[in-house]
Amino acid sequence: MPNIEPFSPRGMFHEGWTAEVNDYAIACGWALKGKQFIVGDVAGGLFSFEGDTGKIIWKKENTHSGGLLAMAIHPEGEIFATSGQDGNVQICNCHEGKVIKTLNLGKGWVEHLKWSNDGLFLAIASSKKVYVFNEIGEEKWISEDHPSTISAITWSNKNELATACYGRVTFFDIVNNKTNQKLEWQGSLVSMELSPDGDIVACGSQDNSVHFWRRSTGMDAEMTGYPGKPSHLSFDDSGKLLATSGSERITVWSFIGKGPEGTMPGELCHHTEPISSLAFSNKGMLVASGSRDGSVVASFLKKDGNGDPVGAAFAGDLVGAISWRPDDCALAAVNAKGVVNVWKFKVRTNLFSKGFK
Amino acid sequence: MSIKEKVPVTILTGFLGSGKTTLLNRILSEEHGKRIAVIENEYGEVGIDQGLVINADEEVFEMSNGCICCTVRGDLIRVLGNLMKRRDKFDYVLVETTGLADPGPVAQTFFMDEEISSEFTLDGIVTLVDAAHIDQQLGRSDESSEQVAFADVLVLNKTDLVSDDALNTLESRLRDMNRMTRIIRAENAKVPIETVLNLSAFDLDQILKRRPTFLEPEYPFEWTGVYDLDAGKYELMLEEGPDPEMSLVALVNQGESEEELKDGAESSVRLYAEKANNLEPGNTIPFREHINLKLDDKGNKSFILNIEKPTKIALFTQHTAEEFNMKVIKSEENKEIPFNTERFWQAEHEHDDEVGSIAIERFGDVDPEKLNTWMGRLLSEKGVDIFRTKGFISYSGNPRRIVFQGVHMLFTAQPDKEWGNEPRRNQLVFIGRNLNEKEMQEGFDKCLI
Repeated sequence: MPNIEPFSPRGMFHEGWTAEVNDYAIACGWALKGKQFIVGDVAGGLFSFEGDTGKIIWKKENTHSGGLLAMAIHPEGEIFATSGQDGNVQICNCHEGKVIKTLNLGKGWVEHLKWSNDGLFLAIASSKKVYVFNEIGEEKWISEDHPSTISAITWSNKNELATACYGRVTFFDIVNNKTNQKLEWQGSLVSMELSPDGDIVACGSQDNSVHFWRRSTGMDAEMTGYPGKPSHLSFDDSGKLLATSGSERITVWSFIGKGPEGTMPGELCHHTEPISSLAFSNKGMLVASGSRDGSVVASFLKKDGNGDPVGAAFAGDLVGAISWRPDDCALAAVNAKGVVNVWKFKVRTNLFSKGFK
Repeated sequence: MSIKEKVPVTILTGFLGSGKTTLLNRILSEEHGKRIAVIENEYGEVGIDQGLVINADEEVFEMSNGCICCTVRGDLIRVLGNLMKRRDKFDYVLVETTGLADPGPVAQTFFMDEEISSEFTLDGIVTLVDAAHIDQQLGRSDESSEQVAFADVLVLNKTDLVSDDALNTLESRLRDMNRMTRIIRAENAKVPIETVLNLSAFDLDQILKRRPTFLEPEYPFEWTGVYDLDAGKYELMLEEGPDPEMSLVALVNQGESEEELKDGAESSVRLYAEKANNLEPGNTIPFREHINLKLDDKGNKSFILNIEKPTKIALFTQHTAEEFNMKVIKSEENKEIPFNTERFWQAEHEHDDEVGSIAIERFGDVDPEKLNTWMGRLLSEKGVDIFRTKGFISYSGNPRRIVFQGVHMLFTAQPDKEWGNEPRRNQLVFIGRNLNEKEMQEGFDKCLI
């Protein structure tokens, strides 16, 4: 249980709607350009709500026996994919939640799903292999076995997929079936994010550091001194700021100028317990963070990575996932008790409540 | 709402064929009221019957700093990280490792990873040992001696395939390697469930309750008998036994209280340090002298004890009386005089194995800063070879005793119950490879106030 007192939305957060799902909510996302909000719980329940009102549109239970592990909504927002401990991936339509295609990848857990930016490919990581399918579930490419279980995947451009595992990041050209680049580092990489132009690769490591590489120059650097493993990373849309966290603090590295090597990072200290989710807004330098203590804070950042909170809200329990609506005018948070909160995000016009304490 | 309790985790290690899966199935079938999640690294020929079973390949992750204590098990972090979101679905976790698993990284995962340690607690490490094969395995592989060294409980399995003598020898070998562990003999992995689950194995009180002698120094003798004798001539009769000779020290005016016995033991240790004089059967046993009874002859042997005035005598013998069916007989009446009191001691053994245990017990308080410096240096220099550490410490000025436990270089110290009227003392056990007992004891002594 969170050890902070509940509080009403403050600053730019405003009451929106709340709803409940059946179990610990682990994944969420906006579909149909923000008209719909989909939540997945750990037991395999899927719930679709109206984006503005929170009215339930459809729900499904036990979609993956053993439980749900990942969900990814297609960039066009018409379809989405889920995966679970049953070794299956389902591609479903957002309107009714109907299954379009079920893919079975064997016995291993299917832990990571990522659509390419143009939506033509779906990358799927299961154990030591990564698979690429197209929108209608046709297999396009399979990797060789990685040295260990894949811990993160992401697209660097429309045909190039990056994978992280123990000891290395690998870039695959999945159309021409070749390995473009291998970045090696002896350490267990637990998270990975790429800058939007695909040049900077940032990985959180089990040894409480963030390691990053610039692909264009081959330079790499290690940022140490984190109190915990940096499981949460997020780049802003310009690729200049990288927010990282492995504790209740958020450390923001700025890539402006010669940084971040040799510079002091920005520090945001708004939570009493470790961060459990972290996401930049779709546009601009706003970063939202959710914590194990149930608090959600949005901070507006300056170029050097420092910044001030512009709003806060209480989600009730450990924040399992957060998601900005595509227009950044609402923020959703789902928690470990299965509670869904969607807050409107806008400037307060009422003079009395102006300003954030 | 109540404070969330951490989910206990038990690790089952042991070589392939030692009976891990059999024990696992036994636990699952007998503890059907409990909701147990099983993480299985080894897919043996025997399947697991029920429960929430998750298969995961063992993934040992070393860190770039090369520090052995930072090495963790990636598969456990991944699987437990998911299980913690389903914690209403189970209340216990069992991890079955592969036969070749190094228990270090498994245990370290519960110290090193904040997410895991905030939700789970390592309850104990249970190592299964195939009584028929462990002797060879110990010689051949580091893994098997490390699994023995890390164990909170050693299940000596398949005892039906081995003679009692061999089991005793094996047990004493294993005991030398790990003095902290509890050894349970079993056929077909049949052990009482409460001996392997919910151990709170890091609780040293539990160990002391079970085996109060485990922190004691080792003595060169195994047994003491105190006999209340009138003046007269007596014979010490021995039948054939395991050894063609036996060392002995006889004392007069021996008290029977624990304290008096320990005083007697102390003087005997000093006498034992001197070279023994051989004594053939039929001769008189001198008092306060280290002698070596020659027992080569077949049949019964007898030695003479002359008592000038009534007294209690004590015999400190290298082996137990039982092993030679040793008796004291009053010559005139040909009547056996039974002992009034007997006391067994932690006997000294030859330490053949590289892996062993060191115990330090000292009364008084330690200086926390000195202890930290000493432990810090010891663990940074020898951490690779020190597998487990457990103990209590008495910090000067602190009304509560400090309990600490460690795995390799990692250790945690936490305040425990108040000392109250108990004498303040320090008890430490280190289990590791090639440890220098004298050096470590001297190092610790310098931390005492």
